[in-house]
Amino acid sequence: MKNIFTKIYNWVDERVKLEDLVKFMGKKYVPVHRHSIWYYFGGVSLFFFIIQVTTGILLLFYYKGSSDLAFESVQFIMSKVQFGWLVRSIHAWAANLFILSAFIHMFSVYFEKAYRKPREITWVTGMLMFFMCLGFGFSGYLLPWNTLSFFATKVGTDIAGAVPIIGEPLRTFIRGGDDVSGATLSRLFGFHVALFPGIFTILLAIHLILIQRQGISEPMHFEEQHSSEKKTMPFFPNFLLRDLLLWLIVLNVLAILAVFFPADLGVKADPFSSAPAGIKPEWYFLFMFQSLKYFPSHILFAEGEVVGILLFGAAGLLWLLIPFWDRKSSRGEQNRFVNYLGIFAVIFIIILTILGWRS
Amino acid sequence: MNKIILSVMLLISSFMLAAQDKGKKVVDQCYVCHESLGSDEATLFKKDIHFQKGISCADCHGGDRQSDDMDKAMSKEAGYKGVPKGNEITQACIRCHASSEMMKKYGSKIPTNQFELLKGSVHGKLAIDGAERIVQCITCHNAHGIVEVTNPNSPVYPTNVPKTCGKCHDNPVYMRSYNPSLPVDQLQKYRTSVHGMRNAKGDPKPAECASCHGSHDIKNVKDVRSKVYPTNIPETCSKCHSDPQYMKEYKIPTNQYALYKKSVHGVALFEKHDLSAPVCNSCHGNHGATPPGVESISEVCGTCHALNAELFSSSPHKKAFDKQKLPECETCHSNHDIEKPTSKFLGVTPDAICSKCHKPDDKSKGYMVAKEMRLMIDSLASTEKIDSALVEEAEQKGMEINEAKFKLRDATQASMEARTMVHSFDEAKFNEVVNKGLTVTSSVKADASAAIHEYYFRRIGLGISVVIISFLALMLYLFIRRIEKKNANN
Repeated sequence: MKNIFTKIYNWVDERVKLEDLVKFMGKKYVPVHRHSIWYYFGGVSLFFFIIQVTTGILLLFYYKGSSDLAFESVQFIMSKVQFGWLVRSIHAWAANLFILSAFIHMFSVYFEKAYRKPREITWVTGMLMFFMCLGFGFSGYLLPWNTLSFFATKVGTDIAGAVPIIGEPLRTFIRGGDDVSGATLSRLFGFHVALFPGIFTILLAIHLILIQRQGISEPMHFEEQHSSEKKTMPFFPNFLLRDLLLWLIVLNVLAILAVFFPADLGVKADPFSSAPAGIKPEWYFLFMFQSLKYFPSHILFAEGEVVGILLFGAAGLLWLLIPFWDRKSSRGEQNRFVNYLGIFAVIFIIILTILGWRS
Repeated sequence: MNKIILSVMLLISSFMLAAQDKGKKVVDQCYVCHESLGSDEATLFKKDIHFQKGISCADCHGGDRQSDDMDKAMSKEAGYKGVPKGNEITQACIRCHASSEMMKKYGSKIPTNQFELLKGSVHGKLAIDGAERIVQCITCHNAHGIVEVTNPNSPVYPTNVPKTCGKCHDNPVYMRSYNPSLPVDQLQKYRTSVHGMRNAKGDPKPAECASCHGSHDIKNVKDVRSKVYPTNIPETCSKCHSDPQYMKEYKIPTNQYALYKKSVHGVALFEKHDLSAPVCNSCHGNHGATPPGVESISEVCGTCHALNAELFSSSPHKKAFDKQKLPECETCHSNHDIEKPTSKFLGVTPDAICSKCHKPDDKSKGYMVAKEMRLMIDSLASTEKIDSALVEEAEQKGMEINEAKFKLRDATQASMEARTMVHSFDEAKFNEVVNKGLTVTSSVKADASAAIHEYYFRRIGLGISVVIISFLALMLYLFIRRIEKKNANN
C-alpha cells in the first residue's frame, strides 16, 4: 500500500516538482501563543465555503430558479430526492455557520491587528469576502420562494432603496423591476450561483496566496520576543492536521444540526398576500435592522432611516480601510482607540442582535 | 246703529274670551271658520287626536288661532306659514314629538325618539330631488285625522300597515327611482302568506311589514343593524313565535327558535357567523311566509343541498316516502333542530335513523344495504383518522409531508362525497366513492409511514456517521500527538 502511494507521489513529483512545494510548506511556521486558537477560524471559514460549493452544486441538480417552480423544486428536494433534505439542511446550516465563522475570523484579525503592514491587501480581500458572504446569505434566502423569504427580501431591498442617489436604481437593479417578483428571483439566483462564487473565488485565491506568501501574522507582543523565545509549529503537517481535526468536529456539529433541525420550507410566497407580522431579516442583518428602528423619523433635514443607512455605510468603509488609517499599529505601537472601537462594535452587534431577536 | 252692534259683538266676544281664559280653553278660530266652510281638512281634523288634545291648526300652519279676522289670522305678522312643504312637515311634528316636555304637557307617553330613528333609517335619506327626506311623518300617519296607532282607522294600525307601505313599495315606477333591484311584489306575496291572510281577515297579531322591518328605524336589509339582516332574522321571528302566550290561539309550537339555535344551521349562523346559513325565511319564505308542505320540503332543502335532493329524487326512497306521505328530508334530518349529520345516522344500530324503518327481523335488502353502507363509511372514517394521526406525527417530527397532507384532503373530500352519495341509497354508487377514498387513504398511509420511517433512519444514520467522524477525529488527534511528541523529542 505504502509502495503505491510512494509510486504515485514520485510520478507526480517527477512532473510537477512536488518536492519544492513540500520544502516550501515545511519551512512555514505558525506562531504558538495564547491567542493561537483564533488562527483556526480562517480554515474553518474555508471549510464552510467548500461545503457550500459542494452542497450548492448538488442542489443545483434539482433546483429551478423561477417563481413558478422554485418552491416546488425545493419541496421535491426535501421530500423526493435521496438525501436531498440532508444536502439542503447542511447548505442552510453551513451558510449560517460560515457567516458566524467569518465574523469571528474578522474580529480575531482585527483585535490581533493582523491587518497592519504588509497585510493590508489580505485584510481588504478578507473584508470584501465577508461582505460577499452577507450577499450570499441575502441572495440565497429568497431562493426557496416562501412567504418569509419573499417579504424579508422586500424589506431588505426597501432599505437598500432608501440610500440617497443610488438607492432607487440599486433597488430596481436588485429587484429587476419595481417590486419583488419572479425577475428578482432569477436575478438573485444568478448572483448566488454564478456572479458571487466567481468573484469570491478570485478574492479567496488572492487571500490564500498572500497568506502563503507572507506567512501567518504574528501578534505584536510575539514580535517583540527574542527569536529563541518564540514558540512555533510547522504549518505542514502539524497546523494543517489540527485544522483538519477541527473540520471533522465541525462536520459532526453540522450533521447533528442538519438532522435535528432540518431546514424549514414554510409556505409558498404569494405576492398578493399581506406580509406576515413581525417579519425579520436573517440574524446577521438583525443588528442593523434593529438599529434603524431606534433612529427618529427625522434628523435635521434628513430622514432618520437614511441617516442610519449612511452611518452603517460609513462604518463599513472605515472598517474596510482600517489598515490605512491605523498607522500606530503599523508602526508597532499600541492603539487603544482601535481596541475600544472593536469592543464597542462586538458589544453593539451582540446587544442589538438580541434585542432584534426578542422584538 | 252699526257702531252699537259692533260694540255689542265686541262685548260678547270679550265675555266669551274671558270665559274661555277662565276655563283655560281657547276657541280655535281656524277650526271654527274652516269647519263652517265645510273644509275636508277641518272635518278630518275633528277626529284627529291632536284636535282632541287641544292642538290648533295654527300649531302646524302658523297664524293667530284666536283671530276671527282671516286677513289678520293668516298674516305673515301673525306667523302664518301656510301648508308646510317637504322637511317643514316633519319639523312641525317634531316640535312636540321630539320634546318630552311638550309630550308630557299633553299627557302623552309615546316615545320622543321617532325623528332620530327616522333620520338614521333608510327612509331618512334624501329624496331624489335632494331637497327633502324620502318619507315625512304624514307619509304614513296622514296629515289630518291622525288617530292613535291602536285605533283600527289609523294607517299604521297592523291591519292597515301593508296597504300603507304598499303605497310606495307596490309602485314599480316610484320604487325604481330609489332602488331598481328591490322587488315590488311584497304586498302581493304577503297576501298569500299565513300572516297576510290572517291580517286581511282583520287579525292585528300576525306579522305585518313593521313587525319585521321596524317602523321609524327601518334599515336596509344589507345593514347589519336591520332586523331582517340574516343574523337577526331568527330573533325577529322569535319575538312572536317563541312567545307561548302570544301564539296560544294559533296552536303552533313555540320552540322553533330554541331548536334552531342548537341546530347545525343555527351554529353556522351564530357561532361561525356564516351568512349563507339558512335562517327562518330561507325555508319559509319572507313576505310569502308559509310552512313548506310535505311535497315541497325536498325542494326547499334542495335549494342549497341540490345534489342530495337530486340523488334522493332518483332513489327508491322517493317512491316509498311519497306513498306514506312522509316529508322527505325532514323524516331523517328533522326540521328546526337539524343535527350535524354523522355516520351514526346510517346503518342498523339502534341509534341509526335507517333502523327506524328497516328492522333486523325483516332481513330486507334495505336493511342489508344500510348495514353495508355503515361498515364502509366507518372503514373510510377510521383509515382517515389513522392517516391524519400519522401525517401529524410525521409533521411533528419535522418531515416534509405536504404531498401526503394534500392527498389527505382528497380522502376528506371522498368522505363528504360518500355522505352525499348515501342519499342515492344505491350500494354500488356508494361503494365506488368510498373505495376512491380508501385508495387515497392507503396511499397517504404509505407516504406518512415512510416519512416516519425515514425520520428514524436519519437518526440511526446520524449516529453511525457521528461515530465514524468522531473515530476519524480521534485517530487524527492521536496522530497529531504522535507527530508533535516526535518533534519535541527531536
